Amino acid sequence: MEPIDIGLVVSGGLLVLVVLGMRVAFAAGLAGIIGLIWIFWAKKGMDPEDFGWAITVAAKTAGQVPHSKVSSQALSLIPTFILIGYLAYYAGLTKALFEAAKRWFAWVPGGLAVSTVFATAGFAAVSGASVATSAVFARIAIPEMLKIGYDKRFAAGVVAAGGTLASLIPPSAILVIYAIIVEQDVGKLLLAGFIPGAFSALVYGALIIILALTIKDFGPRVTGFTWRERFASLPPALPIVFVVVTIIFFVYNPFGGDAWGTPTEGGAIGAFVVFLMALYRGMRWPQLKDALLETAKLSVMIFTIIWGVLVYVRFLGFADLPGAFSDWITSLTLSPMLILICILLAYAVLGMFMDAIGMLLLTLPVVYPAVMALNGGEFVSAADSTFGMSGPMCAIWFGILVVKMAEFCLITPPIGLNCFVVAGVRDDLTVQDVFKGVTPFFIADGVTIALLVAFPSIVLWLPGLV
Amino acid sequence: MAGGSLVLSDSSTLSRLDASLYRLERIFALMSGLAVFSLMVLAVVSVSGRNFLGQPLPGYVDWIEQAMPLIAFMGVAYTQRDGGHIRMDILVGRLRGRVLWTAELITTLAILLLMVLMVWGTWAHFQRSFDFAAPLWSRDSSMDIALPIWPAKLLAPVAFSVLVLRLCLQVWGYCRAIATNAETPVAVPLIADAATQAAMEADAVSGLEEDKGA
Repeated sequence: MEPIDIGLVVSGGLLVLVVLGMRVAFAAGLAGIIGLIWIFWAKKGMDPEDFGWAITVAAKTAGQVPHSKVSSQALSLIPTFILIGYLAYYAGLTKALFEAAKRWFAWVPGGLAVSTVFATAGFAAVSGASVATSAVFARIAIPEMLKIGYDKRFAAGVVAAGGTLASLIPPSAILVIYAIIVEQDVGKLLLAGFIPGAFSALVYGALIIILALTIKDFGPRVTGFTWRERFASLPPALPIVFVVVTIIFFVYNPFGGDAWGTPTEGGAIGAFVVFLMALYRGMRWPQLKDALLETAKLSVMIFTIIWGVLVYVRFLGFADLPGAFSDWITSLTLSPMLILICILLAYAVLGMFMDAIGMLLLTLPVVYPAVMALNGGEFVSAADSTFGMSGPMCAIWFGILVVKMAEFCLITPPIGLNCFVVAGVRDDLTVQDVFKGVTPFFIADGVTIALLVAFPSIVLWLPGLV
Repeated sequence: MAGGSLVLSDSSTLSRLDASLYRLERIFALMSGLAVFSLMVLAVVSVSGRNFLGQPLPGYVDWIEQAMPLIAFMGVAYTQRDGGHIRMDILVGRLRGRVLWTAELITTLAILLLMVLMVWGTWAHFQRSFDFAAPLWSRDSSMDIALPIWPAKLLAPVAFSVLVLRLCLQVWGYCRAIATNAETPVAVPLIADAATQAAMEADAVSGLEEDKGA
């Protein structure tokens, strides 16, 4: 058997293991190590005497991966961002944000819903976790919306959709993972998420205002806040601004001059500020211990997938499957843009059944090189490229697109997790209610993705400044 | 996709072993959490040292690289015990009784096979950098301040060995479940459906909100 055939068979086997419900991290690792054994053994002509040798070499090859791949400064951003998210709950930032957003934005048509979207976007700045964001705001925002007569399905939809903003607005753990897997600059990717994330929030806001203007008794305005009340609501929400500004300044100094440090430092300083805020709000050792255990659990879950997938990637390298897939993609006679759209649609389908991180890690080692080849190669200049952007810029653009797709899947049936969470929090809502309420946002997301594809400069302007 | 789930207990030997191992796993996971906390403290020391004292923290990056294996490996068994490693449960979620436990047994045995090979491989990786005769017992060292690397490399086989123990207990648990045809066996994570899971997640988060009395 040729290495490429072994690659295909083992990858098929991996798919079967994942569908059978094997933990994704270990399924990838096992596929990788079995593939390595097979390839080494095949090189020796499958001689039974050499089987022991093949296992030894494969185990030692795979054994280098966990330590050598996780000991990286860039990867330390992931646990730091996760810690910020857990500390943010103790810092009382969710209520502070909703209160501030309400006082500033509730006077527009559909005001409370608009405020909810902006508050979730703000909370996204300290939390990378979409599902948790939805859960928190389902408790805070839905009751207030129901009180002034919103349709309960729509109120639930706002919260479910708002939660998806978390993974683009920095700090975003999923963008760090993407950057590591495709070996691109972490700081630039984090910056690149900022405008599309804010843009998504604005599209949601605009959609709500349009709905409120066209549908009678949709969502009344809430007026009567004085300017004094408005300004009084700002200080408790300030740590959020601080975290975002710190991370941005540590990557890129908008006033010219050097960045203040590395993204790693920026993330950690941001975490420290939220930690101080949480201490001030009464967090003590028992709560901190819980936060640390939860952080450890989520971090190790992600790192296990990372090393598991990298064992598989090492095998893929020997089998040259990514190369073959790239050759096939570039040999297609379809227009490259159409191929890219097909890839994005494939992610939309896959995302309906798989968690975003697992999905990206499993597919990117094969899909990413193909997309780069489609654009003309990793080091292509903007002038010679298919999509009109240089190799590194294409990597950033594609990263933002796939992460947005993965988020999109959090609100699509059949298992859009955000919708389940909102229904789980509210006894008076079924999952079907939430899916119905989230439909307008579903369409809004489709529009946003189309705009990001059609006008890459929305994504690339900010990272282009660095 | 599922993350968290539930583990039941009773007075059997299996369940007692599960509880004892869980205590060890929790300590390991807490070490991992404290390592994340130390990353934060290191950065504050490094940045304030550089900006206010004109003296950067020597070996900042070296220390981060030493802390990362702690974070990445130490909690691996703790997470497996609670069923926290993600998977696609759209198919197994529909199975019941013996069929379900057999499916779980097969995938758990597959993980066990992988982890035995990984303990071997990571141990070999550690051995290449460890030498009693060398200074600090170390054949290699970090770039900046020459920390020995073998302790960090040793963490992988240690943490993976605990995971192997955990997997052995889970294999035992699933075998027992098949033998007794139990509806809700002990010492193995039970599958929660999406709604239950979502409610658990929401409870965890809102618990935090209420804890601080806001």
